[in-house]
Amino acid sequence: MAQFNLPANSVVKPGKTYPAAAGSGRVKKVVVYRYDPDSPENPRTDTYEIDLDTCGPMVLDALIKIKNEIDSTLTFRRSCREGICGSCSMNINGSNTLACIKAIEEIPGDIKVYPLPHMPVIKDLVVDLSRFYEQYASVKPWIKTQGPPPSGRERLQSKDDRERLEGLEECILCACCSTSCPSYWWNSDRYLGPAVLLQAYRWIADSRDEATVERLEELKDAFKLYRCHTIMNCTNTCPKGLNPAKTIAEIKKLTAATGS
Amino acid sequence: MALRTWLSVLPGVGREAVVHWWMQRLTAAVLVPLVVWLAFSLAMLGNASYEAVVSWLKTPAVTGFLVIFIAVTFYHTKLGVQVIIEDYVGGWLKKASLVLLSVACIVCAVAGIVALLKITL
Amino acid sequence: MGTSYRLTEHAYDVVVVGAGGAGLRATLGMTASGLSTACITKVFPTRSHTVAAQGGMSAALANMGEDDWRWHMYDTVKGSDWLGDQDAIEYMCREAIPAVVELEHYGVPFSRTDDGRIYQRPFGGMTTRYGEGIAQRTCAAADRTGHAILHTLYQQSLKHNAEFFIEYFAVDLLMNEEGRCQGVLAWDLATGELHVFRAHMVLLATGGYGRTYFSCTSAHTCTGDGNAMVLRAGLPLQDMEFVQFHPTGIYGSGCLITEGVRGEGGYLTNAEGERFMERYAPNAKDLASRDVVSRSMTIEINEGRGVGEEKDHIQLHLEHLGADLINSKLPGIAESARIFAGIDVTREPIPVLPTVHYNMGGIPTNYKGEVVTLRDGDPDHVIPGLMAIGEAACVSVHGANRLGSNSLLDLIVFGRAAALRAVELVKPGEAHEQLNDGAVESVLDRFDKLRHAGGEIPVAELRIEMQKTMQSHAAVFRTGKLIEQGLTRLRELYSQMDNLRLSDRSMVWNTDLVEAIELTNLMPQAIVTAQSALNRKESRGAQARDDYPERDDENWMKHTLATIGENGDVQIDYRPVHMYTQTDEVEVIPPKARVY
Repeated sequence: MAQFNLPANSVVKPGKTYPAAAGSGRVKKVVVYRYDPDSPENPRTDTYEIDLDTCGPMVLDALIKIKNEIDSTLTFRRSCREGICGSCSMNINGSNTLACIKAIEEIPGDIKVYPLPHMPVIKDLVVDLSRFYEQYASVKPWIKTQGPPPSGRERLQSKDDRERLEGLEECILCACCSTSCPSYWWNSDRYLGPAVLLQAYRWIADSRDEATVERLEELKDAFKLYRCHTIMNCTNTCPKGLNPAKTIAEIKKLTAATGS
Repeated sequence: MALRTWLSVLPGVGREAVVHWWMQRLTAAVLVPLVVWLAFSLAMLGNASYEAVVSWLKTPAVTGFLVIFIAVTFYHTKLGVQVIIEDYVGGWLKKASLVLLSVACIVCAVAGIVALLKITL
Repeated sequence: MGTSYRLTEHAYDVVVVGAGGAGLRATLGMTASGLSTACITKVFPTRSHTVAAQGGMSAALANMGEDDWRWHMYDTVKGSDWLGDQDAIEYMCREAIPAVVELEHYGVPFSRTDDGRIYQRPFGGMTTRYGEGIAQRTCAAADRTGHAILHTLYQQSLKHNAEFFIEYFAVDLLMNEEGRCQGVLAWDLATGELHVFRAHMVLLATGGYGRTYFSCTSAHTCTGDGNAMVLRAGLPLQDMEFVQFHPTGIYGSGCLITEGVRGEGGYLTNAEGERFMERYAPNAKDLASRDVVSRSMTIEINEGRGVGEEKDHIQLHLEHLGADLINSKLPGIAESARIFAGIDVTREPIPVLPTVHYNMGGIPTNYKGEVVTLRDGDPDHVIPGLMAIGEAACVSVHGANRLGSNSLLDLIVFGRAAALRAVELVKPGEAHEQLNDGAVESVLDRFDKLRHAGGEIPVAELRIEMQKTMQSHAAVFRTGKLIEQGLTRLRELYSQMDNLRLSDRSMVWNTDLVEAIELTNLMPQAIVTAQSALNRKESRGAQARDDYPERDDENWMKHTLATIGENGDVQIDYRPVHMYTQTDEVEVIPPKARVY
């Protein structure tokens, strides 16, 4: 159920400020949400002043610079640093995105970095995504066919049929879209959320998959699918430029067409 | 840590959900021309006398459209508010609110139609 | 030991460490065959570095012109500069065809030809008829092939209900006194608890160690943890001097631009606008193998024909390919170039530079994935209970230089081979032998010491010094003197490892400690790499020695084996190259001069 006020121990307090070293060039303030699970203290926001002249171009570069040079306790996920692994998804100045492809230059004023919204925080910017992954598994995101594949050679698929997977198979499971969706915030226990619905549609749209009806039957649920209220945050925030909202609309159209 | 857990056994409401989604769009589509027609008509009747309005209401087509309008409006309202309650309310309060919503919508719709028919018949 | 840790114990038939392409393929095969299998991974499976592979996976399907797996084998042997083991290369190239078909059956969204078959593009070093023509052999899913394969393998693992331990950091192997591997000790980042995983077979699929260098295409997580575990167990790593520089990392960020760009018709130019690869490789031109292209680019820059104010990079052109081809076949490249170089590839060239990309060296194994070492004169002595696959392993199918698109192939073929071998070796549900408590104690000891390290040097400071030393002293061109200077510096840094300072002492998601452990993994690999490079007095594949510019088959057609002692001293030994094939279907390819 929706909860509109934070529990007292979740209220974020201002934390420490780490001023820039003397002689710094262009100084930028990075305000970062901090939460230490071992401490009884409330979460806080620490402010780090960094020198952009000695920092890479992306927000992830700034976070790594902070961790390397100022405060090695700062905790966040990162891996590929080129926008393909989906590790460094976080909320930067109000939008969910990947820190590794979010340019500092695009951000006027201070950089404000928070974990993905409405997710259980484990530590600092690291959130617990296990429910998200369970939801992903729940749509049985693997190819299902009636008979065995042809022996010794690939299944055939036309170029046009392959093209229908464009905009679907590129999803990197960063969870930016799902955690930007108010409907997912309120009902993430039962609503699958845009990322998982997009993944479900990826198999519905695949000409090689033969379980379309079964997949649609599974999705015909007031909560799993129909909690999407076309708010469109998912599409606005997707760092890979995908359109989950449209895929959800496609699923709704298909479920309506296949025997309501 | 097996990943296929609670969600794969979550019961699907199935048909009902699809019908809900369909009906909400269908009623919305029906309401568009009806609202335009009603707004236009009321504007035209702006300075009309009581008798003129009653006689307009008594036109069989007008009576028919208005009955449909009232019924569809409250059905649409029920569908829409139901989603809001499901989104934001939980536990026993949710069940109670949904029952109250259905009752309220039915009462309002019936009252509206009865009132209209009392004037026109 | 000051602190006592509570340990949770698990018992499995097999434990796989790493969930990239190789780890997932192996996990999948073992689970499906009824072995109880745990896959431990420090990142969620789809975030493993396989996800960043772009161009494709080679296999002689002949979907787009004539092809034969024997030609593929010839190219791979030639690409390896005759340091690859030919029995393993034969196995890989023959198995490539069913491996790609199997992936398609798993649901990988390959790009397609007009008649609906898997699309294949040309790649560096891939030829037809033993070097005569250019082969279209690299199976591609646009320019996101690794992403497509990794996600599909994870999906198949879900289908088979494989057991994952996600964001568990493997700290070390547990070896018994007889040198048998009995399991691993891992740290669950989310809860901060330590776990002992007992297994009859431990399979290391931990990837490469690109992060020993300052500028690399590898992810932050590519720290060669498995390699380092093997070194700590007193076992050797093989051919560590061979570090591949990818010709086209984006200048500045180091992000990868696939060779597929050149496969689709892209080309390189110097400051004079000259297509200089025509001079260095008259036949293959821009599609010569990576070591050749990287060296040519470096020569151009060293001779003052680099592009830019500092004359320090090269340009990669694809403007002439047209927006349509770029959008359908290379969309990810267009996006990367826009984000990381700020350019529109339909109008401007991409600034690129050779960037550390792949480690041919690693844990020596046979073609079944079993870890081997030289013992009592036997160069193929199998270490019981331990296997390795993927970039972590050195089978050796890549020898002195890997061909592009042979890496995804390596993952899948040897992931499958390792699963098959494990099924042969391990009886499901067999009782585990007594765990070597001493091994557990010493791993915990090392862990605890590092966690409470109270010295003076932060992890990041030591790491960057190491990375810069490797970048400047073990790069594309090497000389004995340069490497020796580098080694001296690396030894200094190594001795400072006792003086590390950590600020985070917690157990839950302590990435300060994760990075410290990773540094203790990287540092010995850096030293072993430099020492092996210094030791090999010839130029072969990715090892280009200015002081020994020729290949010397008489003295150096052998694998380097390097072990490292606690004090950082490296011992070198050798294994012979397998100059034989498994079947009569193909002949051994004798060494000859390597011209593209």
